[in-house]
Amino acid sequence: MNIKGKILVLSVALIYGLSVAAQKVNEKFIFTPQWTAHAQFAGYYVAQEKGFYKQAGLDVEIVHPSVSQTAMNRLKNRESQATTLQLCQALEIVDNDIPLVNILQTSMNNATVIVSRRDKDPLKQVGARVGMWQAGFSQVAMCMSHKEHLNYQWVRFTSNMDLFLKGAIDGTLAMSYNEYYQLLQMGFTFTENNVYRFSDHGYNIQEDGVYMRRDYYETHKTQARKFAQASRKGWEWAASHPEEAVDIVMKYVRANHIATNRTLQKLMLKEVLRLQIDKKSNKREFRLRPDMVKFASQLMKENHMLKKDVTYQQLIAD
Amino acid sequence: MKNPITYIRQSLSRRLSLIVVLIATIIFVAALGFLFVESRKAVRQEAMDRATAVLDNTVLRVNSLLDRVVIATDNFEWLPVRHLNTPDSIFTYTRRIIECNPDLNGCSISFEPDFFKEKGRYFSAYSYNNLEEGIIETEQEGNAQYEYFYMDWYQLAKLLDYPVWTEPFADYNPEAVYTQEIIASYCKPLKDPDGKYMGTISSDISLEWLSKMVSSVKPYPNSYSIMIGQSGTFFVHPDSTKLLNETIFTPTLEHPDTALTALGHAMQHGETGMRQLVFEGHESYVFYKPLGSTGWSVAIVCPESDIFGGYNRLYNIVIAIVVIGLIVMLFVFGRIIHRELQPLHTLAQQAETIASGEFHQEIHIDKRIDEIGKLNQSFSNMQHSLVEYIKELKQTTAMKASIESELKVASDIQMGMIPRVFPPFPDRQDIDLYASMTPAKEVGGDLYDYFVQDERLYFCVGDVSGKGIPASMFMAITCNLFRMIAQQNRAPWEIATQMNTFLTRDNEQSMFVTMFIGMIDLRKGILEFCNCGHNAPIFDGKFLEINDTNQPLGLWDCKAFKGQVIEDIRDKKLLIYTDGLNEAENMQKERLGDERLIELMADTAHLDSEQIINKFKDAVSLHRAGAEPNDDLTLLCLSLKTL
Repeated sequence: MNIKGKILVLSVALIYGLSVAAQKVNEKFIFTPQWTAHAQFAGYYVAQEKGFYKQAGLDVEIVHPSVSQTAMNRLKNRESQATTLQLCQALEIVDNDIPLVNILQTSMNNATVIVSRRDKDPLKQVGARVGMWQAGFSQVAMCMSHKEHLNYQWVRFTSNMDLFLKGAIDGTLAMSYNEYYQLLQMGFTFTENNVYRFSDHGYNIQEDGVYMRRDYYETHKTQARKFAQASRKGWEWAASHPEEAVDIVMKYVRANHIATNRTLQKLMLKEVLRLQIDKKSNKREFRLRPDMVKFASQLMKENHMLKKDVTYQQLIAD
Repeated sequence: MKNPITYIRQSLSRRLSLIVVLIATIIFVAALGFLFVESRKAVRQEAMDRATAVLDNTVLRVNSLLDRVVIATDNFEWLPVRHLNTPDSIFTYTRRIIECNPDLNGCSISFEPDFFKEKGRYFSAYSYNNLEEGIIETEQEGNAQYEYFYMDWYQLAKLLDYPVWTEPFADYNPEAVYTQEIIASYCKPLKDPDGKYMGTISSDISLEWLSKMVSSVKPYPNSYSIMIGQSGTFFVHPDSTKLLNETIFTPTLEHPDTALTALGHAMQHGETGMRQLVFEGHESYVFYKPLGSTGWSVAIVCPESDIFGGYNRLYNIVIAIVVIGLIVMLFVFGRIIHRELQPLHTLAQQAETIASGEFHQEIHIDKRIDEIGKLNQSFSNMQHSLVEYIKELKQTTAMKASIESELKVASDIQMGMIPRVFPPFPDRQDIDLYASMTPAKEVGGDLYDYFVQDERLYFCVGDVSGKGIPASMFMAITCNLFRMIAQQNRAPWEIATQMNTFLTRDNEQSMFVTMFIGMIDLRKGILEFCNCGHNAPIFDGKFLEINDTNQPLGLWDCKAFKGQVIEDIRDKKLLIYTDGLNEAENMQKERLGDERLIELMADTAHLDSEQIINKFKDAVSLHRAGAEPNDDLTLLCLSLKTL
């Protein structure tokens, strides 16, 4: 090959290399929150709408899950690059040999509560029928039921409180930022007795965080870092501009035909932001806590939800 | 700026018109208040009747449909149970139910997971009306993405173990196309012949027509109907953005509202009733009633402004008319009363003019025959009388002035008749004599006199009956008689006898005079005296003892008056006085009294006659304390000093 030929080959290689690089830069970053559109994911909507992702050079698309394509499934099938997951869900996935990386931890407190239909302490209702989400999110509650020998009969429900309301079940799991307010909105009366907050009874295990498959992370560290930073910026903006943040949330709510209203979303955002503040430091830390990971892993393993321990190191970025 | 109260008080017309209007206002307020309260009750009752009728009608129509759904489902329930050995036939039944019941949107007969071993985990026969294509579709709807046995409609029947209506919900579409059509399902547990739960039969109806039906029924222009599920969620509401998104309690999350919460709970509990509250920003009456056994509730919201619109308009107009009427009444009454009382005003001005001295001010004679006319006439008469009276008064005053002038002269003459120069005998050191006469009127009837002749001091003090001019003239005669007769060196009783003779003669008026006549031999100090009905003088600090009291002079004839003699009066004080002294009266008609005279006379040894008399006059003046003198006052004090 003469020099001209070499130059030609090099030029072709360079053009090809640049085009691949350019392709990588413009690669769509699909993010999937683990539930339908509401203020639980306000920070990501804000980051998208306020252009924080774009400023970070990311082309982010927010794709909500459907019945057939849950957030976990989308992550497993590499249809989404990042998704929010509860810590316990993430532990389950890692335990099933799909290594994940937590690139941003938003929740610092557990939001799960048990609500009893009558004015009766949920801890005193052994064998009661208790509703849980069909989609999951109930690991901590199930562990607690075993540990406290409550032997709840778990009844899976889809997305609303009708079973609870009509008396088909004695109690239900609820998120303090979502179903709790839904029940209030249904005229349900909360008393001192009928609510059990896991966070107040030694089960304060972090929930929502943003996760990636580790293999994807290894090749897209910069994108992961940028996405985490922009998302964090989105949450911080939402905390300082709650009214505007709710407006943005409502835009997504309407686009996704979610049956809710502004008042509920406002209360949800307030509670979600409260849960992001660490009880010890009283700050919005955005970090996974090793002690909570260890406790969650231990609890789930004891209850045979995990085959082996999943460590903090397995979840965090390097 | 005038004080309003002063402004009102200054005018009778203002005051009267204000009182009339105030009374009218009280009557209006009482009458209209009663009328309005009763009218409001009637309007409210009428609204309740209207709304209740509409509500009953709505509930009847909805219940009729719901009953049809229940009956249709119940009628087919036995079929799948009987044909469990041929599960595919169940698709025919669901299809048949839809064919036979045009009210139904869909029907499913769903079984527990793995119920039919050969059919796998899922078996749910579902038929529905495909409205777009106008055909009935039948399919097996259970799969990994749609695990029907976790759905509420399935689990409610299973867990509750009795037929139940689900909460209205948005139609689920596996393709995630949101139709926003609101449907509800009647679900009933299916049981095998042993009573064991097998699955759920569920019939769906669209609730869309409900909105259309109830929105067309309006008892009032702005009233509207709402329907809520057991969760309080709206599934009928004029604001479509609230459908399935909000509950009746949503506003209370941020702004607690006990009235709204109570209404929501009452509707959730299947109560029937009416509540008045602020609903969605408007004061409203909400009439509510449950829908059969669904747990749902329907309500008609009637804004208060609609119910009481006509009433409020009437109320405002009537109040405006009354207020304007009262203001006009105040003004008109004020003008009328002012016009009616105008003569009084004129009269008041004329009275003021007359009061200022212009008695000939012309008074307009009103022809009115009412009280004001009479007053006017009376005032005119009074003016004439007043003019006459003033005229007479002027004459009388002139006459009185003339008489007073004459009386002054008479007084001067009378006073000139008695000696008034003191000391009376400047060249005699042995006689200390002082006298005083003060008439109660211009002229009086008292008298005194004294003179020295041939070393004898003659003196007298008298008091003529009556007062004024007749008494003064009688006094003048008496004075002259005394001097004339005494100068003949006679004894006092002789002087009295002779004076009596003169005075009784031609005394047709029967006037008389009490008199004390004395004569002192200046050389020997012997006092001879004759007391003619006069007060006993004070001698040497005591009342002089009168052994023979004679009659007053001038009453009737008397041949001989009797007298007394005191051998030596030297250095002893003799005070002779008229009854103007001891009978001097104060305002309370209390007399000075004889005892007081003795008290005053005591301790006067160091005083001369003038000082004693002044002391007595001061005492009288003090006793009277401003009271007019009731009688003439005459005092004569003397003492014969041993030289």
